Amino acid sequence: MKTRLSLILTILLAGGCSLAEQPYGFYSTGNFYQTEADAESGLMYAYNALNYLEYLRGIWYIGDIPTETMYAKSDEPGDIHLLDNWTFSANTELTWYYFKYCYIGINRANTVIDRIADCPISDAARDRILGEALFLRAWNYFNLVRTFGRVPLSLSAIVTLDQTTPQLAESTEAIWEVVFKDLKQAEDLLEVNKVFGRADKVAAQALLAKAYLTVASGRHYNAPGYRSLSYDPDAYYALAAEQARKVMASDPAVYGFDDDLLHIYDVTAPDGPEHIFIMATDRSGTHEGMYTKIPLQFLPNNSAVPIYLKYGDGRLQKANGNGWGVFIAEDSFVESFLSTDKRRTELIHRQFYDQYGSPITLPSGAKYYSAKYVDADFIGERTSARPYLLRYSDIALVLAEAAGPDEGYPIVNKIRGRAGIPDLAPGLDLETFRKEVIKERALELAFEGNRLFDLRRTGTVTSTVREASKLSEEDAAFYPVPQREIDLNPNVDEENNNRF
Amino acid sequence: MLVLTTVLPLWAQTRGISGTVTDPSGQPVAGAAVFSADGKQFTTTDEQGRFALRADAGTVLTVSFLGFTDTTLTVTAAQDSYTVILAPDVQMLDDVVVIGYGAVSKSDLTGSVASVKMGPLSDITSSSVDGLLQGRAAGLQVMNTSQDPGATATIRIRGNSSINGSNTPLIVVNGFPMGEAGSLTSINTADIASIEILKDASASAIYGSRGANGVILVTTRDAKEGVTTATLRHQTVISTLSDKLDIWYDPMLMAQVANEEQTNGGLTPLYIGQTLGGVYYPSLLEIQNGQWAHTDWVDLCLRTPVVNSTTLAVNSASSKASFNLNVNYYDDEGLYKKDAYRKLNLNLGFSYKLLDNLTVSTYGVLSATTRNKMDGLEYGRNPLWPVYNEDGSYYRASATDFSHPLVRLEDYYDQSKGRDIAQSGALDWTIVEGLKFHTQIDYRYNSSVQDIYEASTTSQDAFDNGGIAKVNMDKYQDILSETYLTWSRKWEDRHDLTLMAGHSFDREEKRGLYTTARGFVNDVLRNENMNAGDPELRQIYNDGYYLSKLLSFYGRANYALMDKYLFTLTMRADGSTKFGTNNKWGFFPSGAVSWKVHKEDFLQGATWLNELKLRASYGVSGNQGINSYQTLDRYGMEKFWNGGSWKTVIGPGYEVGRTGANDRYMVWGGISNPDLKWESTSQADIGLDIKVLDSRLRLTVDWYYKVTTDLLREKYLPLTSSYDKIWVNDGSVLNTGFEAELGADIISTRDFHLGADLVFSLNRNRVLSLGDAISSGLSRDARTGMYYEVTGPAIGMFNQNANILAIGKPMNVFYGYRVKGIIQEGADPGFIDAAGQLDQSGELKYLDLDDDYELTGADRCIIGDPNPDFTGSLNLSARWKGLDLSVFLYGVYGADVLYNGYTFSPRVKARRWTPDNPSDRFPRLNNARQYLLSDYFIQDGSYLRIQNINLGYTLDIGKRWFKQARAYFTIDNLYTFTRFDGYDPEVGLDGIYWGGYPKFRRFSLGIELTF
Repeated sequence: MKTRLSLILTILLAGGCSLAEQPYGFYSTGNFYQTEADAESGLMYAYNALNYLEYLRGIWYIGDIPTETMYAKSDEPGDIHLLDNWTFSANTELTWYYFKYCYIGINRANTVIDRIADCPISDAARDRILGEALFLRAWNYFNLVRTFGRVPLSLSAIVTLDQTTPQLAESTEAIWEVVFKDLKQAEDLLEVNKVFGRADKVAAQALLAKAYLTVASGRHYNAPGYRSLSYDPDAYYALAAEQARKVMASDPAVYGFDDDLLHIYDVTAPDGPEHIFIMATDRSGTHEGMYTKIPLQFLPNNSAVPIYLKYGDGRLQKANGNGWGVFIAEDSFVESFLSTDKRRTELIHRQFYDQYGSPITLPSGAKYYSAKYVDADFIGERTSARPYLLRYSDIALVLAEAAGPDEGYPIVNKIRGRAGIPDLAPGLDLETFRKEVIKERALELAFEGNRLFDLRRTGTVTSTVREASKLSEEDAAFYPVPQREIDLNPNVDEENNNRF
Repeated sequence: MLVLTTVLPLWAQTRGISGTVTDPSGQPVAGAAVFSADGKQFTTTDEQGRFALRADAGTVLTVSFLGFTDTTLTVTAAQDSYTVILAPDVQMLDDVVVIGYGAVSKSDLTGSVASVKMGPLSDITSSSVDGLLQGRAAGLQVMNTSQDPGATATIRIRGNSSINGSNTPLIVVNGFPMGEAGSLTSINTADIASIEILKDASASAIYGSRGANGVILVTTRDAKEGVTTATLRHQTVISTLSDKLDIWYDPMLMAQVANEEQTNGGLTPLYIGQTLGGVYYPSLLEIQNGQWAHTDWVDLCLRTPVVNSTTLAVNSASSKASFNLNVNYYDDEGLYKKDAYRKLNLNLGFSYKLLDNLTVSTYGVLSATTRNKMDGLEYGRNPLWPVYNEDGSYYRASATDFSHPLVRLEDYYDQSKGRDIAQSGALDWTIVEGLKFHTQIDYRYNSSVQDIYEASTTSQDAFDNGGIAKVNMDKYQDILSETYLTWSRKWEDRHDLTLMAGHSFDREEKRGLYTTARGFVNDVLRNENMNAGDPELRQIYNDGYYLSKLLSFYGRANYALMDKYLFTLTMRADGSTKFGTNNKWGFFPSGAVSWKVHKEDFLQGATWLNELKLRASYGVSGNQGINSYQTLDRYGMEKFWNGGSWKTVIGPGYEVGRTGANDRYMVWGGISNPDLKWESTSQADIGLDIKVLDSRLRLTVDWYYKVTTDLLREKYLPLTSSYDKIWVNDGSVLNTGFEAELGADIISTRDFHLGADLVFSLNRNRVLSLGDAISSGLSRDARTGMYYEVTGPAIGMFNQNANILAIGKPMNVFYGYRVKGIIQEGADPGFIDAAGQLDQSGELKYLDLDDDYELTGADRCIIGDPNPDFTGSLNLSARWKGLDLSVFLYGVYGADVLYNGYTFSPRVKARRWTPDNPSDRFPRLNNARQYLLSDYFIQDGSYLRIQNINLGYTLDIGKRWFKQARAYFTIDNLYTFTRFDGYDPEVGLDGIYWGGYPKFRRFSLGIELTF
């Protein structure tokens, strides 16, 4: 009896054995994108790619550190000094990671774009999700093409091993065309619907305006990274202006100037009118990426004792617990602000205070630190400070630069007035006016990841940044494609890797 | 051999006679059969080897016992009492050896199998048997690197052969594979009858895709027929530290040294009466004036470790049924206060003969463990800090001082409870003579729950978040069925053939749920109720489930021709759910031949020679180091703050690891590789067994050559793919070596026995290939062109990994700079340091190997090899009447150890270089310098340890209800001969010394009563 029982058991066990492996407890290609909620979740995964610290910190590592506005503390480890001193190479870690995360964002967006077609959802939802995914793909390619120039172009999801070596784009123009096409399609598909952390029609218009302005000015100033483009500068200035006007025609309560300068940077008001596209993070998250540590990078160390900021009206604000003070504003840049400029007096600090309002001396000495990223309600290292990805004043200045003095003066003066400084000298010609706008951008958008791209598209990197003066403008135009890509992708090799 | 006191028969008469049966060394033989030729008289000997029966004078009695030659005695009228000394049957000596799915007599072994004698091991107190195997078998490497209560051992057979898969042998208990060797805590050491180590491919390939790392077979005790015994055993171990703790005993010297360190680094001295980082550092004057404490933190943190182990064993057997029960309670109190491990084990074996040809048997294990973890109490804390403030509260050096040991003892809680249940049921059926059927069902259930509470006083994270509570639960379940048929036949007196064929099915399941909560109002409930935490900070941080199935078919043929030429062929096919869809089945064949030279005619005259056997084998086994689901594509999951609430977001790309400083960068995987399969190990082995002089001198030597290919490795993908890595089979490693075991019964008389066992193992390891240099991301040594990759942990102090895998070199060699003494004042450092620190006088004199006068990564080379040149052990055992003594020595030669203690050891700091003390050994103090990993930190980790001395006395009481008593005293780690500067050179395979406290010297006292 027992024999038979155990024989039967044995046979049953063996017979019931299929060696095919079924995924358990995780999603994969086979069991996802079945519903609208899946598609929505997949879309937010594409947004989430922006939050990883490799990409997030790239905003400043690439946008500001290499410029005349900001430098890194001397004992900060890693490759930050290579960027600061313009001694980077194809092996520089921080550009390498920035590059990688652009493609992670692209693959996530491509997956949404590919799979939404077969997903059983309403047309309205499909349009919105597809529109946002196209926006995100354009966002990542926009970052890639202005940072690295000609790079591989991947326009569908990578699922199998033989798809992992995408072809190099034919030219930088081919990449810009993808950006323009995706954004135009996104603009058509999306409605105006402001949700904190997400992109809508206005975000698509804003990014398209910025993209058009980038190529227009690049061609106009004959910047090396843009020479190969066939675009007519004036036609593209006009396109940029047209898109920026659409943004400025929005309901000013939703998208408009924020009259209170400090309110723009108030972490408790992430849905302020200035915010067109802002990174979605919150201090209630459990790991970095869900929350950020941006204030720790921007504010100095005081041996674990909290430091306070004092504003012009005497208000004290708790600023930080135990910052690292990595990002330091250059003295010469800070001093280029008018001394009455609130963007200097309120948003850049050298003197910090204790909780009773008495001045304190910091171990790192007296240096300028930006106070654009402060979260008084931080929990340990967790903060809600968020970088702006697209800001209204940025797009307003895009219009001013693209359209010229007639439309531009009121915009520039509105922004200067908010900062408490006099109007721009009237009667400037177009060329001079544009230069003044770009200068104004440096002050208004300081430490927001914009400056390097403004310098590159105007061909002024080597003439503006002391550390870059030893390079040619061609060498400063783009960062090299990372070595691992050259090594492992047979479609990208050093010889045919013409970045322009 | 028969010894009769008197020989002359007088007249026939039936009467009572008695006798004693012993082996040649005088040990009584229990259970031996004593019977007359006609079968009318029959009895068996008792525990003392005694027998009594009634017989006529002239009756010939036969005395028979397994493993000995049958001996006859003729009853005489003149003698009532006889002594019979049984001679061991050379054929049967050491008797049967368990191999996978069967057993063979040792003399018929064709593969390389080592047997471990359990005798002396049972007297050593340990939570598991694995760690005790150190030095007990050639080719077996055992490292006991942790002394924490309940710590496990690292075990290797014939070297490391895998980089990313496991290197640990499979452990099989009574035919039930119980996972990886090293932590067999659920089986009581005293319940183990024998341990066999399967080393070569012929022996281990029968375990197929799990056999590549070798197999350890454990067989538990059986009861002897007709004998009932109960044994009560208690052991107590008290440990002391074998070295003085290297901490600051003189606070003044500590402060002076700290100031010098700062000053030399161009920094402000510390002890000048200042507050830095919230900590007040008194001035030297304040210290001298006695204004500050001189706290003995060691006394507050540590205690004398004590282990108590109590075992009760009861067994009994009749001709039909037998059972064996073994219960053990093990209580291990560690060095740190409150650091403890407790275990209760119950092992029960039972078998019953249903019919003459049908036996059912079961073996069950119940094990309950509790681990209260309180390690890392800071006994080296600054002696200047007082224990208490004046108001009686604990003194904390600053708001962020979380290392006060008394605070930690009160406010930190970490307890793990484990339950392990294993049950086997087997049926053995002899269908007809020569055809046997065996089927076995094994089930194992293992669960553990870990409760952790870190009060806000115990860590920065807990302080920032208002306490951290964790509940981590793991469950493991395994069901296995094995069925095989064995057919054997002998014919024409020349042929002996045994065939075995079977199949097995194994289903393993793992489940884990790890939760955490933060933000508690107070610490009263600890982690009793996770809901008391802040709702926003509650998290399930690991929720895993793994299922794997392994379906196997296996077979073996053993053929012996004229009992001289032996052949073995084995074959196993393994199909696993873990393997990629394109490689579901693996095939693992092996073959062996053996020649019993001593049976040849030309050696028949050599009576001194008892055995001379040559063996050769070759085969392939596998290592299924792949995890479940590793070949599938896998989406990642994140939380995204969407318009004011957290949403779960899902898509392609899955975090498979971290890299970079502080592990800040994510590594992305998740793309599928349907070709992924097991690692393959091919091994050739040539061996020789010799026994001479009545088998009193025994030698076994083996040489092996083992190549592992298809190493499981990660290959990099282009960045544009959005994936970093994919798992592939690529790369190979070679292990080749020589092993010898020499055993001798030097003196062997009835009352006195002196024996020695020498074990020698030598292994040479070499990385043959690591795949394509570029896609594998290999680094290149600029001077030699050697390709390598870093492995093991990054060492923060040096800002680099210590170990590398370099093509053509042994695994885990150390890679770094070379140092030759200290830069003396006025001397040329030989290089320039850009940071202006390392080229100063009093610093280490690094060698500028590439002659560019700069110190760069290109000046590095291989600076050491943590793999030993050889290991050896010697066990001497002596017995005189009831008194026994054994001394066990274990040694490792030629293993390099990375010892970074020079950078923080107070002993060394006191002997630093100063202009007045131009040491060429210890550099100046300097807090601003970045130490480079160099051969300055590489030490010869060779050692010879008096591992164990055991003195015991056994008293035969011989009463029916009280048979025997034994008491013994054991010292572990009596002394270690070494030139190593740290506490102890026994470190892990990577050769990195991680500090910790000195090795215990353990004194244990045991008592054993047999009823």
